Amino acid sequence: MTEQMDKETREAALQGMGCSRKRKEDARFIQGKGRYTDDIQMAGMLFADMVRSPYAHARIKSINKEKALALPGVHAVLTADDLKPLNLHWMPTLAGDVQAVLADEKVHFQYQEVAVVVADDRYIAADAVDLVEVEYEELPVLVDAHKAMDVDAPVLREDLVGKMQGAHSERKHDNHIFNWQAGDKEATDRVFQNAEVVVSQDMYYHRVHPCPLETCGCVASFDKVNGHLTVYLTSQAPHVVRTVVSMLSGLPESKVRVISPDIGGGFGNKVGIYPGYVTAIVASIVLGVPVKWVEDRMENISTTAFARDYHMTGEIAADKDGIIKALRVNVLADHGAFDACADPSKFPAGLMHICTGSYDVPVAHLNVDGVYTNKAPGGVAYRCSFRVTEAVYVIERTMDVLAQKLGIDKAEIRRRNFIKSEQMPYKTCLGWEIDSGNYHMSLQKVLDAVDYDGLRREQEEKRAKGELMGIGLVTFTEIVGAGPSRNCDILGIGMFDSAEIRVHPTGSAIARMGTITQGQGHQTTYAQIIATELGLPSEEIQIEEGDTDTAPYGLGTYGSRSTPVAGAATAVAARKIKAKAQKIAAHLLEVSEDDLEWEVDRFKVKGNPGQEKTMKEIAWAAYNNVPEGMEPGLEAVDYYDPPNFTYPYGIYLCVVDIDKQTGETSVRRFYALDDCGTRINPMIIDGQIHGGLNEGFAVAMGQEMPYDEQGNLLGNTLMDYFVPTFVETPKWETDFTVTPSPHHPLGAKGVAESPHVGSIPTFTSAIVDAFAHLGVTHLNMPHTAPRLWKTIQELGVK
Amino acid sequence: MQVDLDKTFELPGSANQGWTFLQDIPGVASCMPGAEITEQVDQSNYKGSVKAKVGPATMAFAGNIEIKSIDTEKRELHMVGKGQDSKGTSSATMDLTAWVIEEDGKAILKGKASVTVTGKAASLGGRMMTQVADQILNQFGKNFCNNVAAMGEDEAAVQAREELAEQPKELNGFAFAWSVFVGWLRSIFGGKASS
Repeated sequence: MTEQMDKETREAALQGMGCSRKRKEDARFIQGKGRYTDDIQMAGMLFADMVRSPYAHARIKSINKEKALALPGVHAVLTADDLKPLNLHWMPTLAGDVQAVLADEKVHFQYQEVAVVVADDRYIAADAVDLVEVEYEELPVLVDAHKAMDVDAPVLREDLVGKMQGAHSERKHDNHIFNWQAGDKEATDRVFQNAEVVVSQDMYYHRVHPCPLETCGCVASFDKVNGHLTVYLTSQAPHVVRTVVSMLSGLPESKVRVISPDIGGGFGNKVGIYPGYVTAIVASIVLGVPVKWVEDRMENISTTAFARDYHMTGEIAADKDGIIKALRVNVLADHGAFDACADPSKFPAGLMHICTGSYDVPVAHLNVDGVYTNKAPGGVAYRCSFRVTEAVYVIERTMDVLAQKLGIDKAEIRRRNFIKSEQMPYKTCLGWEIDSGNYHMSLQKVLDAVDYDGLRREQEEKRAKGELMGIGLVTFTEIVGAGPSRNCDILGIGMFDSAEIRVHPTGSAIARMGTITQGQGHQTTYAQIIATELGLPSEEIQIEEGDTDTAPYGLGTYGSRSTPVAGAATAVAARKIKAKAQKIAAHLLEVSEDDLEWEVDRFKVKGNPGQEKTMKEIAWAAYNNVPEGMEPGLEAVDYYDPPNFTYPYGIYLCVVDIDKQTGETSVRRFYALDDCGTRINPMIIDGQIHGGLNEGFAVAMGQEMPYDEQGNLLGNTLMDYFVPTFVETPKWETDFTVTPSPHHPLGAKGVAESPHVGSIPTFTSAIVDAFAHLGVTHLNMPHTAPRLWKTIQELGVK
Repeated sequence: MQVDLDKTFELPGSANQGWTFLQDIPGVASCMPGAEITEQVDQSNYKGSVKAKVGPATMAFAGNIEIKSIDTEKRELHMVGKGQDSKGTSSATMDLTAWVIEEDGKAILKGKASVTVTGKAASLGGRMMTQVADQILNQFGKNFCNNVAAMGEDEAAVQAREELAEQPKELNGFAFAWSVFVGWLRSIFGGKASS
């Protein structure tokens, strides 16, 4: 065997970075052996269920618990009045607002939590919920965000009346939450006044729900003897939950243990803290027994964390050649009854100011007003990094409108405005620094792959025959990996993340992380990073997450932050171990550290073949033969505060055919090229992209939470709420380029959300393109057959 | 969820007979499938209930009916009914104006109703609301006509009394869904919607 072959064999055996290692998690999942929150059983455990409001806005005149309490097996019925003495009837939200844990005198949205019943089992609890009698007095309902700040609009939040200073700005109206701006308004307006071409497009990004397979829930268990509280919880951020629980309950954080077991998908739905968690914890502390609360599907869609509901206007000022001179974005943000968005504290509209996209925009201004309505609270990042989906949607849609107005092809107008690779790292006019990217190269790759010119010719022919064919194109840049603690914190805690790696004497290892997997495959990919960094086989590296008693503090998994932040922490912790290993190797080989070089899994003495120590040998020595003065053991921890966000990007192209008779859309082709920098596990990346595209397809083509004028949510069951299966899902074609992040230790950027963020405007772009020759510039989502059929009728397409 | 409906029924008797029956609130309420007046609170306020059975589940709405106005000259009645189901998960309001006119010698009952539903009934049944409300009112109209006809002494009156006696005492969801379905089929195939 040649030396080269030997090296390659050893490298392959590690199953490290770049290898499509099979997912470690799947063995238990496909055998039904996952352990989810609802699988937790404890002796003496009781069940909690919620009494919820049928009204969107009403005053509670009385609550009669008598009949419910008389039902055998019922232990308690708690209302806001019962939580008042503990000061837990309201709780702080991550967005600086407060939210009623149980409705206090008033209900603000349909299905709001009014009382909680605790009983022997969930069936008795459900029966008892029906026996709680609540008398309401209906109040005028506000569901239209555009009317929220009308003079005669009903005041929703009586608790805030007179408090005109909000968490983020002054409030202009009792239903106003905040005004938030980025960029230079005056300079932008000036450019618009003198621009050769101006386009403006209103668009509504509808209210949707992440709808993970597993709904939210918890099991709270308070041990009265030692004062310890253990909470099993479906949380994407268990450490933050521990801090919040400690702050709310007064228990020392050391006596609160939060465990996120296996999680059946999160997509942002499991970031927040919900009344169900709080009441289960209170019930367990009061009753001294474990209490489980798990929501059903209707409760999940109706109450825990929706996404979007942004009314946006995108405006571009350009010259006649389509070169952007300025961008203006205006947003009316419907946050529902309580501002419970999950965003870094400083940014009430998340990272919406990435809305300049992949383009060289000289000046821009973003204005966001948040308002209250009688809808459920939330506003989470549904498979997205804090409003990036909205930002990408508004810029990509407006670019199409500009192209259409000038009669320039949508690929060409993007090419003309792209930030050039030589401009990287590029400072955007709204304050971000895009780390790397080669947009021109990636776009060309996609256009060549699909024969773009051929598609356009085909479209011409089809149009001549009266057929509806659309080509959608989106060239998006995301901002993920929140984030640098100088601009990102949650409740004052910087958004770093962590890894703690311990190498055992025999050379296997365990790593514990501050993140938590919900399907991303962390147990597989983190091990691959360590395998490559330390030369230990990934198969022998155990990854643990989600138990706050054992894992180092981290801010959790959402916003595609695991690889950019915790992945970096893993690499840095591994490098700390490697540095110590090098010292031990030098000691063992009796040479200077500088005489050593690293090769796959061992340190070799330069120019002296055969003199070497493998990492496994070094690990053994770390516990019995270390240099004098060095402490034994081989472990390290790293809390990684990223110097910048990462900016993955993608070029997505979609071809649709729309049936004129039925309005049915057939997605003929979807080509997704992603650049997420260094690729850790190509198979997992492909899986993530397929998943994200599916969810993007769901949002664009069917998902919606429609409210009627009375504030009824019409569509909170899976009969109505669209979750695509294999039957509906189009075939995905994936491709990639690699532009590593210059500041990330591995060059990786994160990928899980790009396909969701990027695909949604691509579908809209394709659908609108099918009608573009008829003067249509935009159509709001979801692009369902009945809605498109109406469009076809209105346009008189024959 | 709000549905507005306009209905017209040709009455078998005279306009005066129709108007007489229209002022009999418990009688009018009993024309609503599954509904009854349980108590008269005062001159213009009544308590009532509606029972609906869908498979194994029974939904019982209890509520108040307020007579807003009775205009004898116009033969017009305006009432508002509000109810909540006993489990507190749904509620319904109906604002109804009904009047009797004479047209070409025929007595005609006209009705304008605005039905608002909130809660689970709206979430789960929202899409069916228009058809369901339409069917309920058709049934109402049929019963109303029978009641007016039953005031007489002829053969038709006997038959009307028999039909009224056979009327189910609660709103049966399945039978109801069937009539909605049949009505829908007829509308598709160009026939007249069932009445």
